[in-house]
Amino acid sequence: MSVSEHHVASDTSHEQAPESSEKTHFGFQQVDKNAKASMVAEVFQSVAAKYDIMNDVMSMGIHRLWKRFTIDCSGARAGHKVLDLAGGTGDLTAKFSRIVGDTGEVVLADINDAMLRVGRDKLRDKGIVSNVKYVQANAEALPFPDNSFDIITIAFGLRNVTDKDKALASMYRVLKPGGRLLVLEFSKPTSEVLNKVYDAYSFHLLPKIGELVANDGDSYKYLAESIRMHPEQDVLKDMMQEAGFEQVTYHNLTGGIVALHRGFKF
Amino acid sequence: MLVGQLISAGVELTLNQLLQLDPDCKPRLKKLAGKQLQVTINELPWTLLFTFSEQIDVSALQQNQQQLPADAAADCHITLGLSTLSELSDSSKISQLIQQGKLDLDGDIDVAQGFSNLMKELDIDWEEQLSKYTGDVVAHQTFSSVKALFNTAQQEVEKLADQLSAHLTKPEAVAVSEIEVADFCDQVNHLRSASDRLEARIDHLIASQQDDQ
Repeated sequence: MSVSEHHVASDTSHEQAPESSEKTHFGFQQVDKNAKASMVAEVFQSVAAKYDIMNDVMSMGIHRLWKRFTIDCSGARAGHKVLDLAGGTGDLTAKFSRIVGDTGEVVLADINDAMLRVGRDKLRDKGIVSNVKYVQANAEALPFPDNSFDIITIAFGLRNVTDKDKALASMYRVLKPGGRLLVLEFSKPTSEVLNKVYDAYSFHLLPKIGELVANDGDSYKYLAESIRMHPEQDVLKDMMQEAGFEQVTYHNLTGGIVALHRGFKF
Repeated sequence: MLVGQLISAGVELTLNQLLQLDPDCKPRLKKLAGKQLQVTINELPWTLLFTFSEQIDVSALQQNQQQLPADAAADCHITLGLSTLSELSDSSKISQLIQQGKLDLDGDIDVAQGFSNLMKELDIDWEEQLSKYTGDVVAHQTFSSVKALFNTAQQEVEKLADQLSAHLTKPEAVAVSEIEVADFCDQVNHLRSASDRLEARIDHLIASQQDDQ
């Protein structure tokens, strides 16, 4: 399958709802639906230790600006309760922790214990302890009561979730009325030229960088493939609306390589 | 779109680096913990939001972006133009600026003043900072040399200004001294008064001649 065909597959993935069948995608492979979570877990188990440095190398540091933009759009303030879902090594949690202060709380949740451990160690080393909780959780079945959080963020995590509709519904359930969900995720570049350059980078250069820096080319090959299989901007917007979110908008960042979707629960 | 984030990251990094260089500023920063200060500069497309904790976090909010009331719930919101920024250094002018409509302040003024004091009262021992990299002797010598150079330069500038002034006023008198300018202005004023009086007398004479005819 060529790269452009993969985009088509991603465009139609939501309408055809392949995830409702017994098979689902793992990068460009079709795998058993029950096996995807453990396969994704293996990838992140493998990259956890080098995750931060790889993010900086792969994005040339721009991922920090994407995350800042997400926080800037969150409206977080003192006293808020924030869920940083698939929070990995805690980049967003660190900043949210300072913003919400002692009267607020940030829950760093990730399905992967290795990522959670790296995140917890990093935040503790920074002295961030008082208002952060760590929870190993599956986004499809969040272990929190209804209407618990003012803000939920999921940065570069949704594409790894097996059943995205179920995960969005779960997030909607635990969000307080008036609260907002922010989904920061790789998306589809808006310009054809950029798309070609990005494809070349993702499928040829990125696995080599992964091999060189993290000694794990396969995981970064999966990363590139999973990005192409993720629903593009308008499809994800529809999915959020179907889950119940209102006033759903998205901002393309860096020419659509990444998009920030924002939706509210009223 | 990410220019605002780049700028806010730069501002945040600079502020926190400066705060780290003055350990005595911590109590002043602690007083502001949990507060938010929003600064809108009319000419810029973003509003900067300063959140105080054990450090300062700076966010760039898009001014044209859809905002909920929660997004604009800072403890203090200052709105001003770029030209007003320089006038803020003189705190006695703040009331005047508000009256003139050049500065809009909404919320708790203590937060703005607290932030202003925090930055104004920073006392950074640059020699001490340099000594961490170069050692005490080199740092001390460098700063002594810089101070000496600065003093010498200042003296030379003052001397040059005196010499230039003397050269222009005496003996060639390319320019006039301050007293001469004042004397000349007085003479001009006298002449203006005399010519006004003369004009009045002439008008009076013409009027009386026309009456006689």
